[in-house]
Amino acid sequence: MPYLLVLPTLLYLAIFFAYPMVSALQLAVQADVRYLNLRAEPDVTAERLPGTIAMQTVVDIIDRERGEEELASGRTRPIFWYLVEAQTVDEETVTGWVNQRNIFVESRTESVTGRINDGEPVTEWTTRHIRTMVNDFRFNSALRNTMLMIVIILPIQFVVAIIMALVLQAQPRGSTMFLYIFAIPLGISDLAAGLVWYSLFTQRGFINSFLVQMGILDSPFIFIASGQLGWILLAIVLAEVWRATSIVMVIVVSGLQAIPRDYLESGQVFGATLWQRIRYIVLPLLRPSLQVALILRTILAFQVFAVVIAISGGDVFTVLANETFRWYDRGDGGYNNPNVAAAYAGLIMIISLAISFFYLRAIRSQEETTG
Amino acid sequence: MLHKKLRLLLVLALMVTGVFAVQAQDDEDDPDAVTFQSTQFNIVEESEIAREILSAFEGAINFVTTEEGPLIDILIAEGQSGSGSTDLVGALHGTFPSLVRNDLLFDLTELTAELDEMYNIADAFIELGLMGTTDYQYYVPWMQATYVMAANVEALEYLPEGADLNALTWDELAEWGVNMAEADGENRLGLPVAGLFNRFMQGYLFPSFTGGMVTEFRSEAAVEMMEFMRDVLWPVVNQESINYAFMNEPLLSGEVWVAFDHVARLGPAFAAMVDGDTDKEFVAFPAPAGPAGRGFMPVVVGLGIPFTAPNPDGAEELLAYMLSPEVQLQVLSELNFFPVVDGVDFDALPENVALIAAAVSAQSAAEDALPALLPVGLGDRGGEINQIFNNVFSRIVQGGEDIQAVLDSEGENLSNLLSETGAACWPPDAPSEGACEVN
Repeated sequence: MPYLLVLPTLLYLAIFFAYPMVSALQLAVQADVRYLNLRAEPDVTAERLPGTIAMQTVVDIIDRERGEEELASGRTRPIFWYLVEAQTVDEETVTGWVNQRNIFVESRTESVTGRINDGEPVTEWTTRHIRTMVNDFRFNSALRNTMLMIVIILPIQFVVAIIMALVLQAQPRGSTMFLYIFAIPLGISDLAAGLVWYSLFTQRGFINSFLVQMGILDSPFIFIASGQLGWILLAIVLAEVWRATSIVMVIVVSGLQAIPRDYLESGQVFGATLWQRIRYIVLPLLRPSLQVALILRTILAFQVFAVVIAISGGDVFTVLANETFRWYDRGDGGYNNPNVAAAYAGLIMIISLAISFFYLRAIRSQEETTG
Repeated sequence: MLHKKLRLLLVLALMVTGVFAVQAQDDEDDPDAVTFQSTQFNIVEESEIAREILSAFEGAINFVTTEEGPLIDILIAEGQSGSGSTDLVGALHGTFPSLVRNDLLFDLTELTAELDEMYNIADAFIELGLMGTTDYQYYVPWMQATYVMAANVEALEYLPEGADLNALTWDELAEWGVNMAEADGENRLGLPVAGLFNRFMQGYLFPSFTGGMVTEFRSEAAVEMMEFMRDVLWPVVNQESINYAFMNEPLLSGEVWVAFDHVARLGPAFAAMVDGDTDKEFVAFPAPAGPAGRGFMPVVVGLGIPFTAPNPDGAEELLAYMLSPEVQLQVLSELNFFPVVDGVDFDALPENVALIAAAVSAQSAAEDALPALLPVGLGDRGGEINQIFNNVFSRIVQGGEDIQAVLDSEGENLSNLLSETGAACWPPDAPSEGACEVN
């Protein structure tokens, strides 16, 4: 009976989470291939003739019929049907009718040949999109950069976050102030964070102005350029650390507060140094919080892309999420290919799941051995 | 406490939706109003100006701005249901293939002939509106834009000796870049690599050097072109170009003195100069020419009428109104899109627009002008050609890969794309029977 209470949640998850996600991921492994069957009569309800015709097949037009449809506005629209002779995919010749929508003709009234350009979609399973993704020359660097960022950023973030949390825990004068200052990046969007750091590193940015005015540099140094992946990576790492460390800190602070004071006090009584107390009391007891923060941060690190675009422009230095967007983008410079974008999204999901699973296993087995 | 807050939020939300509902009601009240959906001017400031210009039309107009994807989806859905609310569609040339394939638009041949008689519409653009057919006018050209170059006047003293700003070559541009870099140690040439750079490759570099966009893709001339790009031009381009999407920004900040971009993206720099918001002074000039000519890409925006339009007569009247030289002039002076008809009085333009307009007409009227049109007939796979041209640049110039190898492998992709879509060659490539082929 109590399981019934979970039912609404499950339904909600199924409708708004599982279903859209599965259909989105399907895009990565499915393709609509279009084929056309001619009709026996010039009518959309007429029987379809056997023999499918591939797209772009050039056909001979034998006859045409012009019909008219009365529109709501009082005008009429012409409806053309063409009697065509065409080669099927099995290289047989069929003769039948095809609607204007499915054929390109140079002149509706004059042309004697046409080209089949639309038909019924047949969904096929394919690895084409995944192959396109893997063979794209940006794929390797995107994968490498994403992993590199996780390997560099995560350790820095955790060390900094734990130090920040310990400072707050010690409650020095004005610790509330610290909390507010540490929490500022929490309220800033990743794009804004990226732009802030870009404006620091740009040719006319704060760092260059500062260095030039101090006389350290004669002319501005261009940090962000196509040959300088190291500087770009540094700027991105700094922006990400600045932006996303506070969320780790918040989790660690709440974990710290759950540690009973007695433990630390007895540690002190027995003469443990600060480092020993952190190493043998605080860190082991923080493990559950750190596990949560680790999973959260890793998954979020795969989604980083606004910072990358803001700082590097997204071409020279790229990450997986940026490639997903590049392939999905329907704008003037985008590739408008949701299938390959779905392949990237699926890849990100698989890696995130694998890493989360690894964290959970790794930390649990430690508990078992220590417990 | 929480409940109170929640209830307040709920009430507020209801009020807001209520207000919108009432507004929507108001818009739909007038049965004779013409609903005009446009993918252009969808920035708030621009749509306000567009509404202002349209308000002089005698009938009521519902000007609705939208994005390409949603517009196509709406029109297809309206076509399937057989009833719609959109009377007039204004969109880039590249949006129309999807509408054409679904057979959604009236034939405007007669209307175009009438308007051509009155205003003399540019023939090349009328032909574009035929979408590859010979006798079905899917859209009437509405306005055009293109890409030109702009320079800070400080840069002019470094112009190579004997170079004419209005008839520059690519070599002179590179030399100019070298001169500027030698003068103050900074690369002052800027390209919008994070912006509409695919158009730079498709419409300017490839046509100027190879005379085509597709057929000569992996030719010797293309190899020489990429050698020039990698070894001569790129070394004098400001390295921060990888981050530039709108060239008005680095022009105004002074990082860049000479830049290439879409006129609408250079416009704000000239507007700032005329408004006195900057002490910098800019000039505009045509893109450089290469061995094969002065490649440039006109961008055409067209107007079509869907079969499901409730008020097609009103749509035709509005269409005719928008092609009149007076309205075309207004659109140019306030929205930076150029006329497609004769008889526009350029003397009436504000100074900032006049500067760009002069460069645009010098570019298209140049003796060696080689207009390169946007790809035609790729349908919804138009994005893939962008990818191919972007890859050529990224792999060769940034990735250091072998030029011929990259051109061969990307040429193979291009060739597959064209044969799979059956797209015929478009200018500047010579017309083809059947699908366009990469030599």
